[in-house]
This record gives sequence, C-alpha cells and structure tokens, in this order.
Amino acid sequence: MTEINSSKSTIQKSKQKNSQSGSQLNHSTDWFTRMVKFSPKFLLLLLIVPVFGGLIGVLLPAFGWAPALSQYDLGLQGFNALWQTSGFGRMIGLSIATGLLSTLLAFVVTLMILGAFFNSVWLDRIQQVLSPILVIPHAAAAIAVGFLIAPSGMISRLFSPWLSGWELAPNGMFPHDPYGISIILGLTLKELPFLLLMALGALAQPELGKKLRQQHKVALNLGYCPMTAFYKVVLPSLYPLLRLPLLAVLAYASSSVEMPLILGPNTPPTLAVAIMHWFNDVDLNLRIKASAGALIQLALTGGLLALWLLGEKLVKCLFCESLTNGKREYAGSYWQKVTGAITILVISFIGLALLGLVLWSIAGFWRFPSALPDSFTLLHWQSAVMQMGEPLVNTLVIGIITTLIAISLTLLCLESEQIKGKLLSRFTSLIIYIPLLVPSIAFLFGLVWIQQLIAVQVSFISYINVVIAHLLFVLPYVFLSLASSYRQLDSRFAIVAASLGTKPCKVFLKVKLPQLIAPILIAAALGLAISFGQYLPTLLAGGGRITTITTEAITLANGASRRTSAVYALMQMLLPLIGFILAWVLPKFIYKVAHR
Amino acid sequence: MQSSLHIKNLQLFRQNELLLSLNEQVNGGEILTLMGPSGSGKSSLLNWLTGALPSGFHANGEVWLNDTNITFTPAHQRHVGVLYQDALLFSHLSVAGNIAFAMPPGNKKQRLDKIEASLAQVGLKGLADRHPDNLSGGQQARVALLRVLLSEPKAILLDEPFSKLDSQLREDTRELVFEQIRYHQLPAIMVTHDHSDAEAADGKIITLSKLS
Amino acid sequence: MPRVKSLSSPFSYFITTPKQLFIVALWGSILCVLVSVTSVNATVSDEAILHKVTPSEPVVSIASTLHWQNIEKKGENQPVYFHAWGGDAQINAYIQWVAQQVKAQYQIDLQHVKLSDTSEAVSRVLAEKSANNNTQGNVDLVWINGANFSTMAEHSLLLKGWADQLPNFKLTDPENNPAVTLDFGVPTLGMESPWGQASLTFYYDQLATSTPPQNLGELLTWTKQHPGRFGYPKPPAFLGLSFLKYALVVLHQDSLTVLKDKNVDKQSGDSYQDPLYAAATSENIDEVLQPLWAFLDELHPNLWRKGKHFMQTGVEMRRLVDDTELSLAFTFSGPEIPAAVKRYDLPQSIRSYAMADGSLSNTHFVGIPYNASHAAGAQLVANFLLSPQAQAYKQQAEVWGDKTVLIASTLTASQQNLFKTQTPHPSALAFNSITRTLSEPHPSWVEAITQGWKKRYGVTP
Repeated sequence: MTEINSSKSTIQKSKQKNSQSGSQLNHSTDWFTRMVKFSPKFLLLLLIVPVFGGLIGVLLPAFGWAPALSQYDLGLQGFNALWQTSGFGRMIGLSIATGLLSTLLAFVVTLMILGAFFNSVWLDRIQQVLSPILVIPHAAAAIAVGFLIAPSGMISRLFSPWLSGWELAPNGMFPHDPYGISIILGLTLKELPFLLLMALGALAQPELGKKLRQQHKVALNLGYCPMTAFYKVVLPSLYPLLRLPLLAVLAYASSSVEMPLILGPNTPPTLAVAIMHWFNDVDLNLRIKASAGALIQLALTGGLLALWLLGEKLVKCLFCESLTNGKREYAGSYWQKVTGAITILVISFIGLALLGLVLWSIAGFWRFPSALPDSFTLLHWQSAVMQMGEPLVNTLVIGIITTLIAISLTLLCLESEQIKGKLLSRFTSLIIYIPLLVPSIAFLFGLVWIQQLIAVQVSFISYINVVIAHLLFVLPYVFLSLASSYRQLDSRFAIVAASLGTKPCKVFLKVKLPQLIAPILIAAALGLAISFGQYLPTLLAGGGRITTITTEAITLANGASRRTSAVYALMQMLLPLIGFILAWVLPKFIYKVAHR
Repeated sequence: MQSSLHIKNLQLFRQNELLLSLNEQVNGGEILTLMGPSGSGKSSLLNWLTGALPSGFHANGEVWLNDTNITFTPAHQRHVGVLYQDALLFSHLSVAGNIAFAMPPGNKKQRLDKIEASLAQVGLKGLADRHPDNLSGGQQARVALLRVLLSEPKAILLDEPFSKLDSQLREDTRELVFEQIRYHQLPAIMVTHDHSDAEAADGKIITLSKLS
Repeated sequence: MPRVKSLSSPFSYFITTPKQLFIVALWGSILCVLVSVTSVNATVSDEAILHKVTPSEPVVSIASTLHWQNIEKKGENQPVYFHAWGGDAQINAYIQWVAQQVKAQYQIDLQHVKLSDTSEAVSRVLAEKSANNNTQGNVDLVWINGANFSTMAEHSLLLKGWADQLPNFKLTDPENNPAVTLDFGVPTLGMESPWGQASLTFYYDQLATSTPPQNLGELLTWTKQHPGRFGYPKPPAFLGLSFLKYALVVLHQDSLTVLKDKNVDKQSGDSYQDPLYAAATSENIDEVLQPLWAFLDELHPNLWRKGKHFMQTGVEMRRLVDDTELSLAFTFSGPEIPAAVKRYDLPQSIRSYAMADGSLSNTHFVGIPYNASHAAGAQLVANFLLSPQAQAYKQQAEVWGDKTVLIASTLTASQQNLFKTQTPHPSALAFNSITRTLSEPHPSWVEAITQGWKKRYGVTP
C-alpha cells in the first residue's frame, strides 16, 4: 500500500494535466468511460461477495446453524467438539510454529542476503538463480524437498555408504517429523525467493532505488561497513514496501495445506489440514466442528498477523537508539561469510532437490544408496503424459480464462484511476489484497456451500466456480504486478492523443496498452502461474470433479511411485516456466515485427 | 603533522579507453578544483577515491591519505567524507539522528550536546528534532555538511555540492563549507561546473577535457 | 521496460479498432467455453450410430432381456461420473481403458473422479440427500466395500436391486459364491456389483531379510530383530485397517475359547455366536479388542518411525519399500507387486508370500447412489466391468493384477482362455500359496478399531 502512496505525486501531476484536456475525457455518454468507471465497483463485488460470503458460510455452521444438516440450534457444540479433539492444542501449536518460524527464517535470510550483497554484482546473480524458483508451485516444491530430506533422499545417498555405512535407508525423522521442521524447511525455501524478489522489485523502482543506493553510499563514506549501512539506512525505508508481502507469506504459511499435507506429521497434523479432513469426512456432523475450526484458524492467522505488527513496533523501539549510536561495525566480515555460506547452502539445496526430481522422473531401478539411478527410462513420462490430457486441458483452460478476466479487470481499474484522476480508495486497495491475508481454508468452504445453494444445474458450473475461486488469488498478484507500471506510464502520450481527438477507448487500446505490452505479458504469466498452482480452490470449488496438474500432483505426492510423482511435479514447474519464457520472448518478437 | 591527500600516477580507464591521468597532492585546508565537461571522468575520479568505482571502469595508480596507502582499503574504512549535490539526508531519522548517525560512538549525552552546539553554529538552532524532509534546501545542505564534518573525516570530496541551490544561498553555503574545511585543516577535492565555485575555492584548478 | 515512444503502436498490426478487439475477445471466450464444456460433457450428437447388442449368453428370460434393453437404450450416450480412489497410476490407467471401451461400445463418456479417500464420495451423496437433491446427484458410480458400503446402505444412499440383474452377474456363480453377495458379512441386496477380489499378501526385500515372518507371532520377533523395517498405514486408511483386522482375527481365535467359556456360563446353554461376525456392542468391544491392543503395544516401539508417525496410505508403504526404509510390507492386491517391479517402482529383490496363519480376504464392489443422474449408464459400465474381457484384462499383472470375481466354470472355453497367463514373475505370489483364508469381521468392528486406535495411538505423547 506504500507503493500506492509513493506514486501519488505522479498521479496528482497527471490530474492537473488531465484537467487541461478535460473536455475530451469527460464524455459522460461514452460507453467505454462508463464501463471503466464502473470497473472498480465490479472488482469489489467480485472479491467481497465470495470472501465475506464464504466467511458467513463458515460462521453460521460454526455456531450450529446448518440447514443442510437440519441443524438450527445456535450454540457452541462445534467448539466443544474442538476442545475435546485429542491433540487439538498440538495442531494449533504446530500451525503457529511452522507459520511464524518459516516466515521469520525466510525474512532473516532475505535480509542477510540483501545486507551482504547490496550494491554488488552478486545480488544480480543470486536473483538470476533464485527467480525461477518463484514459479514453482508449493506442491512441487514440497515434493522436491521431501525427496531430498527423506532417509533415502539425495542428501543421505551422497553420504552413503562410504561415510555413514548405511546399506539400507536409515531410520530417519524427515519428512513428516512431529515438530514440523520439514514444513518449516519447505516453506522457508519457497518463500525466501519470493521475499527476496519482492525486495529487489521495490529497489528496482527508479526513484526509490536510486535514493537508497545513494544513501547507502553516503553511509559507506561515513565509515559504515556495508552490512551495517544496509540495516541502518536502507532497511528502514525498504521495510514498509515489504510489509504486505511479508504478511501475505505469514498468512499463507500459517494456514496452507499443500506443504503440511506433503511434508507434515499426521499425529496430529496442522490445524488447516485437520480442518480439511473434517470437512471431507463421511460424518457430516464433523462439518460443524470443521467450521468452528475454520474460525479458530481465522483467529490464529489474525493473531499471528497482529503479533507480527506488534513485533515490528517492538523491534523499532528496541533498535531506534542503536540506529544513531554511531557504531559502524558489527562483525560485518564474519556475517558476510556466514551469509555467503547460507546462500550457497540454500542454492545447492534447491539445486539438489531439482536434480533429484529430474533423476527420479527418468530413473529405472535406483536402489539406496546409489547416488545415480542404475538405468534411465522414459516410461514414466510416457505413461504420465498418456493420462495427463484432461488435467492439462483443465489447467490451461481455467488458467487462461482466469488470467484474461484478471488482466482486463485490473487494466480497467487502473484506467479508471487515470480517468478519475485519483487513486483507488484505500478501502478498494485493501480489499484487493484481502484474499492474500485471510486464510483460504476459512472462506473457501463457506464459498462452496454458497455455490451449492445457488447452483444452477449446468454441466460446466463447476468450471465457473473454480474460475471464480482462482480469480480471488490471481487478481491480487496481477494487480500488484501491473499497478506500478501502469501508474508510471507517461501520461503525456494519452493527453497528446486525446488532444488530437482520439476517443478514450482508442487511447486505452492503441496508446496505453501497446506501451504496456511487456508488463501485461509478465502479469499474465504470473496470473497463469498462480492459477496453475492452486490446490484447495480447485478441489473445493470444483467439487473434486475438476482435476488439474496440481490436484493430480498432490494426490500422487505421497503415493506409490516417486517416479510418477516426480513427473507431475516437473510438469507443474514446466507450465509456468513456459509462460514466463513466452512473456519474456514475445515482446522482443513483437517489437521486431513492429519495427521492421 | 600536516594532513594530505596524495593521488599518485592515476590513470583512469572506461572499458579500455583512457579517461584521465592525474598526479596531485592536496594538503590540509587546500581545495583542489576539478572542472570539465560531463563524461570527462570527474565523477569516476571521485568514485575511485571513495572506493566505489563502478564495473566497466578500472584504474592504475595509488591514493595515499596522511602517508597511508588506501588504494585497496574498502570504502567504509577510508575516512573520506563526501558532499553530493543532493543532501541525501536519511528520511527515517530526524535531523539530530542524521548527524548522530555520522558521529563516532560514545557517551549519549555528550553526543547530543555536540549536535546541539554544531547546529547552533550553522544557524539551525532548535531544529534537532525536525524531520529532514521539512527543511529548506539550504538548511538540508547545512545538515549534510554537519553530518560529514562530525563523522571526523580525514579528507573531504565535494561533488557539485552547491549546484542545486539558488545564487544567494549558494554563496552563503559555499562560504560556510570552505570555512569549515579550512578550520578543520582537511584536504578537499571539489568537482564543479561553476566558475564562481572555483574562484571561491581559491586553490589549484584543473580543467579536464573530454577525450575522444 | 523499453517504451514505445511513437504513436504507431506495434499493437496496431494486429487489431485496428476496438470493435475488432471485442470480436477477437468474444471468439476467444466462446472458444474457451466450448473447450471447457466439451471436456466435461463430450457428448457426441450423432445419434445415428447404432450399437449391436451382443448377448453373449442364451436368453434366460424375456422380461430380463427387455429390462436390459431398456437400460441399454437409456444409458447410451450418457456421461458417467465414476468416483473411485485415484492414488494408483496403474488402476487409473485401467479405468481409462474402461472409459475407451464403453465409449466405443455405448458412447458413454466415463469420467474418473479421482478420490484420495472413498469417504469423500460418501459424504457428497449424504450432503446431496440432506439438501433434498434426490435425482440430480453428482456421483453415478462409486467404488466401495466394507465400512463405506455399510454406511451408504444404512443411510439408504444406494440404488437397490440392480446388480443381480446385470447380464454378466451370473458369471460369478452367485448361488454358490457368497463372496459376491456378502460385503464384509453384510448382504449386498443387489446394491453393488462385484468388481474384484483381494487377499492380504505380504512381500519382503530379500536383500534385506532372508527369513520373513510366517505368522503373527513371528512378526513380533522379526520386528524386534529388524526395528523400523515394518509399519502399517494410519487407520482409517484401508490397508492399515486390513492389517489390524488380520491381527485381530488371528489373536481372536486364541482368545475365543476363553470368551466362549465365560459367556456360555452366563447365557446358560445358548449357542455362542462369534462376536467378530456380529455387530460390535458397547459391552463386548473392550473385551474383544483387548488382545489387539496388547499386541500393538508390544509391536509399535519397533515399527517404522517407532510407531510415532504412520504412513498415510498403503501405496506410500509400497514406496517406502522401494526406498529400502521398509523390508517387509503387505498389500491387498498381490498382483500389483510384480507389476510395480516391472515399472521399476519396486526393486527386483522383492518376493511375495502368504502368511501361514491365514490371509484376510474380501471382495470390492461398485455401487450406484440412489440419486445418480445417470444410473442407466452406470449399470452399463458396471456390467462391462464384469465382462470376461474386462476382468481378464484387469487380472493381467502388467495392467492391474486384480483377481477376477468370475468363476471359471460359468465361462466358455474361449472366455477362459482370456485368463491364461505366461510364466509368473519371480516377485509374484506363487500359485496356490494361500492355504487359509480369513473372513472379514462385521463392518461395525472397523469403526470400533478405528476409534480405539485413535484414542490410544492417534496422538503421539
């Protein structure tokens, strides 16, 4: 949201300019203008109805009002059932610990890397290595991490038998360890690149980035060691831009099901996973308990977010003094080395996990402790591809429809900002990010319940439901990715065009969009990647009838064959990767054609 | 012992093209002025002196500060202060915070007193707790100067320090800066486009020409 | 981002007016919707394709033939949503093969809705019933047996009296074969049609152990010698419960005489019914299950992960054998073992065997919910599943390897030939190695075991 503030000045400038050529832009009868002006309201509707409707759809059953189960007695029976569940406290503890620790760890390592390599060529190199990780869906990442840390995993194979003496896979603890360490590891490795790239994205903003780099230089000239300079000068200005991504990561980590399902323990599991099991249980009365659980999850995630904000304040108070105490060196070279080691560790960990995945997907017999398969075969790819047809088509169709809607709506909303000459209201911008901050498990079940209530018996109704559910998660990211480019667009082009008598819709389509082709394609690739990775929304809104590569990958993740599951995980990575490569190549191609 | 900044047989290259050669010594309280068109390597020279030569450039030669070779010393250990054309005050800190940031660590009370005193000295009495963004351009420039001076540098570099100030303010600020440099007996190198700056510096002027 | 500085945009090469853009967008969305519709509901509009009904057997009664012809007429061209557990690639592939066959034969569009647990389908039908959706159900056909069947039967969620009317049903010799009309002791009443048969088969890695345990007692000693090398899936996972039932049935035989003496005394003279084969009552649960808990208390410390974490499913257990974490495991479909070895999913050193103190056996079925939207199509599919062609193909080790429910004596010579196989794979269960079969206890015991297990071992201390 700070990003919005920072670009306020440009908008205000353009407002002044707009008012000069207001006669063209204030066509009250122009259908395009009317559509554009209405779009933010439509966007709000599209987000508020499912999320808050879904929350109500969970709230009522949680307190015992569930017409579908012929239960109308308001009361606390759901919560009573929760307290009586054995291991309920452990579930909550596990959710809190995994959510908080993984976010904290990812954040700390992000800061260490930024601090140690700020303004150095290494930061770009690390960025290049880590940015492809961003497109890996959580499920695929979890599968890869699981393969790596299992007792028979790559790490253990590298040290066996020459060092460990193991001829059979040892009795290990990972994955599925009762403390959730595997979950924390998986989430940290997945969220670290996200946070790092968000930070680098913020630093890539022309004005802010330049200012911070110069201030860093000033601090160096004043005798500050580079790491200290980063923490004392750059971080305080950078942090506000990282707050939203951090909160989103925290909310996700404390309530997701993919990672805990594949890497977590089951005696008991995390709260979110337990809720999912209760909702799917044969015993429909468990839905009351599940709804109550969903509310607890909501409170838990809300509490963690509040705790984080509180922690922020606390850290600010504690370290406010030391910012100006003049101390320039905190064992900087030591930390530099530690950070270097951690970075190498993280990258080799990820590299090894991916390598393991690729090897498994083409492995013939591969008995522990061999580090390489005895033979290679394409059998697993062949048989998987034979069965992949429908999930693949579903994945693509849903992803493309969702992304098209998200991009169009985002562009219209951003255009409405320019036509009205003011930014979207704070309320609207908050609502856009709501799906990222509210645990999806808390409102998706209510959403499904509502969808069943109003269900029209059309054969593709579940597709529409899935698209709506995906849209909730695709829209925020598409918006986030497009907003700054759109707002930085030089408004003078539009004014020149308008002064030549061009209609607003033509200005939008022929002047603005072509200038934005590269960011639009990137946003589209991002939207596709987000849609491809959705598990819970697909499963629930589709009523289990719609299979995508992701739902298949998770069904197979703890299944019989590492080989098949490796193929699906790789497929899950391949799809978004293709999207991003296209988004990267197409603009160059288009320019080439255009300038021939 | 008199302090000095000595540039020995510097050759500065962009890619493989020679930008400038220089062999100069600046003594404490003297201001060496470098003039020349943009692209002549002035800024790169300053970058080299601060230890932050960007990639794509390389240099032969040495720089000695008070009889210590600092050519390969990391930027933050050189004790070379810089004043840029922008004040570059930290917006997350107050005026006093900006100055305290630059001062060596020590007793909190003493540091605060020193900040108050020096603010008063440059006519900014009572502004310690203000936010730097709310100050005028001239006030910001003076805070930036205090920040550099109180960091106790051994030499000072001025990178077109007054170019963003209007003429009256420019003269006053320049007066103040040069006075402080002389008072602290710091060797200084100034890069500027403005001849009045060069004259006021009252030191050696080197005019660089754009090669190629 | 490089900005285009001129007004002649690259975009104009493709689209020149907003009208054109909307036409393009419109067509794009129509195309997308079409694709999505056809992938759910790929009905072929060509009604003219006629299908020759192939009565494989002489007509028994005109009424039943008419009934069946009626069903064939209704069921053709229908989509059928088959809710079946989807955790095994091989079984999924077999269901795809079935889909191709019924497509060719009846123009039926069979959609495999892959469940991670069959109870998902049960709860879905139950939810539909509570929402008064009595004709438009989402589930047309469901793969069930045991507890899920008894739940559905108890709540009247299944269509009745259709399975015994299927033309191919008589190939199972129902009069002499109770395995196809009783599901865990509960009469099926034509609510479900048999699909396959399974018995608990053990397998081991002969590079890790050369002396696998031959009975439950030996299993206990073996796990002490090989700590961490054996485990079972967490109940209510089907295979985990199967192992617990095997243990219960074996242990129960030992304690049965004691129980008999005690209870016959009380009931003075009445013939004593084995409690395992009747509904569990709150009075006898503790008594009957006591030996099982005592056994598990001793077994658990030497299990995989010291019995603190249990694998989620049976297939996960198979993978752990491939990982060499486990050296001994079990399955309910023996032929999947050689099939897995052929697909490299298990090492070549795997050997299968049957426990000497008995093998738990059961039949699995397909059922049709009472509110299925396409009940006729579902019956056609169920009948096809029972055909010699489908059953023989299913029994092939490299396809699925699930044992047929058809009885050889009811088949023609050419049909019997379909079932002939080549030399068995070294990892396959040797022919006739099952010397003793153990019947499944009454389904109510499943719930009793699950609840008791959850209470004792559900949360690691």
